[in-house]
Amino acid sequence: MQLEILTDFIRTLLAPLRDLILLVPGIEDWAASVPALTLVVFSFIVLLWGDRRGVLGISIIGVFTAAFNMVLFESGTYGSSFGGLFIRDAFADFFIWIILIVGVLILMSATLYGGERSSYNFLLLMSFAGAIWVVMATDLVALFLAWELMSTPTYVLVALGPHRGSVDGATKYFVMGLLSTMLMIFGIALVIGVTGTTLLSGANSIAMAIEAIWTSGTAGPAAYSLLLAMIMFVIAFGFKVGIFPGWMWVPDAYSTADGSVTGYLAGATKKTGISALMRILMVAFFVARMEWMFIIVIVSILTMIIGNVLALAERNIMRMLAYSSIVMMGFVFVGIAAGTQFGAAAGMFHAFTHALMKTGAFILIWAMSVRLAKEITYDDLAGLGKRAPMAAAMFAVLIFALAGGPLTVGFWSKWIFLPQSAVEANLWWFALVALFNSVFSLGYYLRVLRYMYMMEPTTNTKIELARIPMIAVGLCVIAIIGLFVFPGIVLDYAFEGAASLIP
Amino acid sequence: MQLAFAQQLLGLIENSIGILPLLLLLPLVGALLAYLLGDAGARPVTILITLIELGLGLILAMAFDPNNLPASTEGMVYTGSFELTTINLGSATTTFEIAWGVDGISVAMVVLANLVVFIAALSSNHIHESKRLYYALFLLLQTGLLGVFVSTDLLSFFIFWELVLIPMFFIIGKWGEEGCQHAAVKFFIYTHLGSAAMLIAFFVLFFVSGTYSFSMIVLRGTTLAPMVQIGFALAVFLGAGVKLPVFPLHNWLPWAHVKAPTPGSVILAGILLKMGGYGFIRLGLWLVPEAFARLAIPFALLAVFTCIYMAFVAMAQTDLKSMVAYTSVNHMAWVLLAVAVGSVGYVNPALGFSAELAIQGAIFMMFSHGMISSVMFIAAGQLKYSAGTRQIPEVKGLMEKAPKFSAILILSSLAAFGFPGMSGFIAEVLVLFGSVTAYIWAGLIGLGLFVTVGYLLWMLNRVVFSDPDPEAEVAEAPWVDLIAPIIMMIPVLLLGIWPDLILSLIHPAVVFLLGG
Repeated sequence: MQLEILTDFIRTLLAPLRDLILLVPGIEDWAASVPALTLVVFSFIVLLWGDRRGVLGISIIGVFTAAFNMVLFESGTYGSSFGGLFIRDAFADFFIWIILIVGVLILMSATLYGGERSSYNFLLLMSFAGAIWVVMATDLVALFLAWELMSTPTYVLVALGPHRGSVDGATKYFVMGLLSTMLMIFGIALVIGVTGTTLLSGANSIAMAIEAIWTSGTAGPAAYSLLLAMIMFVIAFGFKVGIFPGWMWVPDAYSTADGSVTGYLAGATKKTGISALMRILMVAFFVARMEWMFIIVIVSILTMIIGNVLALAERNIMRMLAYSSIVMMGFVFVGIAAGTQFGAAAGMFHAFTHALMKTGAFILIWAMSVRLAKEITYDDLAGLGKRAPMAAAMFAVLIFALAGGPLTVGFWSKWIFLPQSAVEANLWWFALVALFNSVFSLGYYLRVLRYMYMMEPTTNTKIELARIPMIAVGLCVIAIIGLFVFPGIVLDYAFEGAASLIP
Repeated sequence: MQLAFAQQLLGLIENSIGILPLLLLLPLVGALLAYLLGDAGARPVTILITLIELGLGLILAMAFDPNNLPASTEGMVYTGSFELTTINLGSATTTFEIAWGVDGISVAMVVLANLVVFIAALSSNHIHESKRLYYALFLLLQTGLLGVFVSTDLLSFFIFWELVLIPMFFIIGKWGEEGCQHAAVKFFIYTHLGSAAMLIAFFVLFFVSGTYSFSMIVLRGTTLAPMVQIGFALAVFLGAGVKLPVFPLHNWLPWAHVKAPTPGSVILAGILLKMGGYGFIRLGLWLVPEAFARLAIPFALLAVFTCIYMAFVAMAQTDLKSMVAYTSVNHMAWVLLAVAVGSVGYVNPALGFSAELAIQGAIFMMFSHGMISSVMFIAAGQLKYSAGTRQIPEVKGLMEKAPKFSAILILSSLAAFGFPGMSGFIAEVLVLFGSVTAYIWAGLIGLGLFVTVGYLLWMLNRVVFSDPDPEAEVAEAPWVDLIAPIIMMIPVLLLGIWPDLILSLIHPAVVFLLGG
């Protein structure tokens, strides 16, 4: 735990503040939800502040306050809230940090578009709070509530995009979202019908019920109903993640929404879907892992192949990146399919690194798109190395990270830990398929580099990109290179989180 | 050959940062420096850094005691490591690290790499566009190349193996000639595909061996099930075979070599191919010799076929650079043959001596081909500047118009087909003597040699010794372009008459390798 010195320091420094907050009567009962509640409070402050100067600043302060509350109320002592429906363990903390980091980055990028409106900020902060609760939920109904709190604002946010097509993209996203919600409810209903509970783990929970059914050794209707429910969950949460059956909305919504929202969708909400699925599969359905492993392998392979083929055919960079994030989610499922502690940790680590790479890439392309007032295609990237050397260099690093090249953290997460975890679970052929897909993806990643560095620009005018979003991208790039040399900084936390899922 | 002053100097370095980390870090620092100094300062800095690297490599070779092969590290000396991260898998703690160490084979490769990179830096004088980026990438490439040769850990081997691709991709694609972008993408994807298969084999070895370690030193000391070994050997064949390259995996090479700028081709032919050969020796022969022994006959057959087939393909080329590129494939097949024969010697002690000869020949072949093909590629690039074209039928009477340049071309061609007195001859003789005792039919590779002699002499006949075409402009190469090939010809001739310089370095390591 290499960051412990830092967190301990902050904790000691701000201990009086924590004691002050703890004076509020009854706060112990929802102490774990303080970060999310902070965001809710700030979202209302932002709404009341109105469309005046500094509204974005308040949002950023809100996210930072939530982060400080994360440190102040450490998960060990203040791990439970709302009667244990929402808990903070090492696993939840890992994903909450992803959400908060992505939150700061995309609020920085919101200076380009939308950030001056209070409604925009309100929706974003509310969605952050929902996302935090999603990863904390230990009960299917609580999960459903948090899921809707997270999703609903994003439907509106996508529709608020600057393009004429954004309403179309939002409609597609919304309809597919409703479909997935419906499937989720159906799955929950089946689970309640069989087990009579909605708790994922602990005494009298779904995990216990499934274990009882699986150890009884008879494949009766109860087992099949549960498997059907499990498939429903994979489809429903997989929709948000953008994996095989529910990936069609991804490119449309991603390319029409404004880039900050796209960064949020790709960087954070995808990860909440993964965390929800990991909790369901690796906690509740852990005994049935021989059954779901096969399904996840198929889903992962199809996701990677579909994403790669479609990305190769794409000329719009936003859409290409959207397809590439579909492929990347297929990679995360390599770790989940392994069904081991190492696999879970590798998947979580890749979720973290993917959040950095994709958010950075989306912000960068969005900044270019705003500057040139058009959708960015490969032709606009031609000669970027000369027109905007800094931006081109940063984009090249991000692309190499996505491709899993050495000197970037993508190498560790995509090329080392994920395939290694699959090999550990005796799925070496699956790891090979995944890596071949990674090689296949070079077809479009290298094209970006080819256009940026090997083509002559059509005009020689320099492109000056907005400073604050570029700082956000720069932070991502520094983190990506730094984590190559010291991957342990994040990996240790991923292992701790995985250990709290699979002991 | 140990010299007291070199050992003192090395001891000094070893007490501070360590010779191998210094070799790896210096180009990285140089890359940063070259980029920051801008277009004017990049070239001098690069030449200085590569010269220092060459000096360090020579000091290492001179101070290195080839007979000191500690059994505890499987013959590796100057070992060290830098920890990247650790993870807990079950009860075992796995360390992911950059680990380094050298034996005689590695030292020879390090010297070769530094020599070729220095020559390539000298011959980069025709690069004018975005110089700072070029030289920064160039030095980054050097770190990757050296890293491959000094890694004693599968993971750090793989990191450096992949690291080489990035700068090479840009060097081929940005500074190459017409069609180079396609060549660069093809190069990247081909080698990446081979690497993917190899990486999975590393992971399988990691778990199946039960050691939970990537360290080659640990893995070499572990006994493995035959099927695991064979699977690993086949994966190494895919990974290293793409780089070497061997017949069905060679398709990227003519593209990359021909389209790359001259220094790019020099590095590609001079060292990148040797990474493949080194991969076969280090990961195959050194790590899983039994598996290679079982696969020896198919590998040897493939090598003989590749050599003869590529000789005929080279004969059909009209572009001199393309001809040189196919000559490289043709020559690297000798390395594969020698590795196959060497592995037989490991399991059958009766063939121990011929295996020794063959493996020494393989390493000598890599060393000598690295130098000779560098000269050949520089000459091919120079032909474009002197005659305006590289098409063999269009250039005539080079001897009369450009005698100095012709001398280089003639000498390098003679060296390439193994003229006695030059290093290529020693290499071919060693491999041939070693192989024929093991498999009599391996002598067929001599047919490849026969064809090589034929087409190179035919090329000389058409380009150099023909009557000059009065209408075609052919200019003599300026001295500044001839320095690099002339410097490179010195070790070619030196090793041709004094092969012990290299052989004394590698012989104990080869004996150790075969002795188990």
